[in-house]
Amino acid sequence: MELDKKETQSQQNMEHNSTGLRILWTELVRDKLALVSLIMLIVIVVFVYGISFVMDQDEIVKVDLFSIHEPPSKEFILGTDYGGRDVFGQLIIGTRNSLSIGFIVTFLSGVIGVIFGLVAGYFGGHIDNILMRVLDFFQVLPFIMLVIVFVSIVPNYTIVAFSLIFTAFSWMGIARLIRSKALQEKELDYVQASKTLGTSHFKIIFREVMPNISSLIIVTMTLNLASNIGLESGLSFLGFGFPESTPSLGTLLSYATNPQTLENRWWIWVPAAVMILVLMLAVRNVGEALRRATDARQRKG
Amino acid sequence: MWKFIVRRLVITFPQLILLSVLIFLLAQAMPGDALTGLVDPNIDPETIEEQREKLGLNKPWYEKYIDWVGGVVQGDFGQSFRYKMPVTDLIEERIVNTFWLSVTALIFTYIIAVPLGMISGRYNDTILDSSIAGYTYIGFATPLFIFALVLLWIFGFHFQWFPTGGSVAPGLEPGTLEYVMSRIQHLILPALSIAIIQTVSTVQYLRSEIVDTKQKDFVITARAKGASESRVYNRHILRNSLLPIAAFFGYEITMLITGTIFVEQIFSFPGMGQLFIESVLQRDFSVVNAVVLLFGAAAILGALLSDIILSMVDPRIRIK
Amino acid sequence: MSILEVTNLKIHFPIKTGLFNRTVNHIKAVDGVSFQIEQGKTYGLVGESGSGKSTIGRGVIGLEKITSGKVIFNGVDITSKNSNRKEIRKNLQMIFQDPYSSLNPRKRILDIIAEPLRNFEKLTKKEEIKRVEELLELVGLSKENMMKYPHQFSGGQRQRIGVARAIALKPKLIIADEPVSALDVSVQAQVLNFLQDIQKELGLTYLFISHDLGIVKHFCDEISIMYKGRYVEQGTIEEIFNNPQHIYTKRLISAIPDMNPSNRDKQFRLRKKVQQEFDQRYHDYFDSEGLAYGLKSVSETHLVALQEDVEKVW
Repeated sequence: MELDKKETQSQQNMEHNSTGLRILWTELVRDKLALVSLIMLIVIVVFVYGISFVMDQDEIVKVDLFSIHEPPSKEFILGTDYGGRDVFGQLIIGTRNSLSIGFIVTFLSGVIGVIFGLVAGYFGGHIDNILMRVLDFFQVLPFIMLVIVFVSIVPNYTIVAFSLIFTAFSWMGIARLIRSKALQEKELDYVQASKTLGTSHFKIIFREVMPNISSLIIVTMTLNLASNIGLESGLSFLGFGFPESTPSLGTLLSYATNPQTLENRWWIWVPAAVMILVLMLAVRNVGEALRRATDARQRKG
Repeated sequence: MWKFIVRRLVITFPQLILLSVLIFLLAQAMPGDALTGLVDPNIDPETIEEQREKLGLNKPWYEKYIDWVGGVVQGDFGQSFRYKMPVTDLIEERIVNTFWLSVTALIFTYIIAVPLGMISGRYNDTILDSSIAGYTYIGFATPLFIFALVLLWIFGFHFQWFPTGGSVAPGLEPGTLEYVMSRIQHLILPALSIAIIQTVSTVQYLRSEIVDTKQKDFVITARAKGASESRVYNRHILRNSLLPIAAFFGYEITMLITGTIFVEQIFSFPGMGQLFIESVLQRDFSVVNAVVLLFGAAAILGALLSDIILSMVDPRIRIK
Repeated sequence: MSILEVTNLKIHFPIKTGLFNRTVNHIKAVDGVSFQIEQGKTYGLVGESGSGKSTIGRGVIGLEKITSGKVIFNGVDITSKNSNRKEIRKNLQMIFQDPYSSLNPRKRILDIIAEPLRNFEKLTKKEEIKRVEELLELVGLSKENMMKYPHQFSGGQRQRIGVARAIALKPKLIIADEPVSALDVSVQAQVLNFLQDIQKELGLTYLFISHDLGIVKHFCDEISIMYKGRYVEQGTIEEIFNNPQHIYTKRLISAIPDMNPSNRDKQFRLRKKVQQEFDQRYHDYFDSEGLAYGLKSVSETHLVALQEDVEKVW
């Protein structure tokens, strides 16, 4: 009886693991909202990166004092800002920059988090204990404040520096998730078997265990992408994101701290706000659909 | 349980020390030191050197660290270079404002979260539930600062129901009813913006908690014994689901800190968050350090408090 | 010559509580066990769940830390730090209980079986495929299966794949930890017979861990019965099944179901008698903590855990 149950259970596990990526895909396509979101995201990405190739970035950020604060017109589809710069152009470049930083930070923090979580979970014991205390400390710190402080004291402030600072304080969430999954996974016989076959810890961690939690990694990183886009725009909004010369969506929104702009010149900040919302919702929809796919109980249909 | 509490405390002290070391090292990396703000640049370098020696600025870093921690413990954070006043005095004014903003935000959070979560959990999979789910869906994805901007735009500028900045209308006498009312009025919009976004996770937690508890045997037993529906909910389900939520407030502190930084900036509300941003921009680093240390310590202690309360409420959470 | 010699093996797990995770006590999963296995023979370890039989196997192969005692494998003490781990690993392999979780679901059969080969032998791609083909053939699977994934196989087939992986390096000793208990009864016999076949073919030695006396009776040359981390009785198959000395062994043997319905009454009386002895003479067999006593020789190969002064009654 007991054994039977165990058997069917592990059978299910295994079926879902081995075809995990395909299930992720079918689930994504079946979920209409997620599918629409995905298509929209692809369109935005292609459009934004495509146009910014053609567009002259220097032209857009050049100050033109003869056409400041112009409302939308034929010449400027979304009007101009306080420096007479084309808002539409800035929106395109801002979206591109925000997306790029989102991808970079999600990737870097994902790599750090996955390695950290795998090592802590796989070895367990004292190593796990020490690593988790480090993680606790990082997680309790107010993220925004530390990033701002670091950003303000770094001497040569560049996009690379910003990504690294951002990454340094955003790898904890995924690390914790991966660790708890790795703790379960390392008890399974295939890991024990690899040990008896003389496979090194390094190989077991990255060649045996990691592929088995790949769907969790994909889901978490997708959801992280959404929150990283939001965090970056927030930091840029406060003035601690990208350097001045590289506008982001948050930069456009920061113009709205001027009450005149907030009240009367919607064309400067509303499109950026809408763009952030659309990006975050769309990425989230995709991520949630993927998560449902990995959790058989919540699967639709 | 005592064991858990003591062990949790044992973890907390290294965290606080680590935080202080981190901030101290950051301060060392920042340009300028305590003297930069105090002395006239025209004084000759020898005198400055003398002063430095006297103030202990030439000591090795660990002695400086001990001096600094000693000062902090006594409430001495040094001098603000911009305001030419002790950081402690500067913070005192602001911390009260931020404290009330946070408390109001927390109250709003619970006022919104508890009924919504209860309705959503009790009548799950109805239209009511899905509309609440719609709210949490949007709320989860909306960055706080965008939401605050929109609220300010609509209710501050367009309808002009609320003031658009500051913590109190100018010219009012402290202590009068008008003064208090004005302060409250200035608090509502910023606090609401934090609350409406922050509440989302609590609503979702409460909902799933109630949906889970509904199917537990003890609830079914209560029903079978003939307890009325409202009694089942009030006596059996809520008691089990609400306590953990009440204990979450310590964890919310980290979110509140983030919230106040954005919201104070948007509503030009003179609190710690605004002070922090201003000081960073003006490179007034003794103030920055003080704010980071206080907020960091608040977050660490908040997490400690929540862990302890939760361990009393729910024995399952007593990890290890 | 014995290939594996275990002397006074102890594996204790610490129980940690208190403020600073002090170790307050130990669970004595394996508490002073000694045995030897002759080359080419099959040695059975029998006991209920939690008796420590699997822990012995896992300790010998290095999955659990050995608290104290000596394990000499192939003439080398594997508990000493400077022994050649690599050589030991190569000659000591394991077959796992659960054929579902012991094969990584993300890997093809080729990669699963080739894993030990890749760790120990530098083969070219071609040689590797050839070796895997041979191994698959040896365990009765066709080479077309090489590119498939574990979920495309039945439990019995998967266990064969596990065996192929274990014998890939031509080991001297295989630890089989309940290799058939997760399989359907109809498949069990098939896999057991096959294990016996390759034993003859490759001259393997088995340490066979099982809770099923019926299987052990047919499969092993020598067996030992474990209870709460200690040996209760040890001997050849004939000695244990025909002349059990310890009450625990007697109870286990009397509980084996008999297929022949005409023996039903006989069985029933036997059980009753054993139960009676257990109730009356419990303390002759177990100490105040409910553990077995030290071992005493009955014959050259037959050992039983009895109190020193208790005389053999029947």
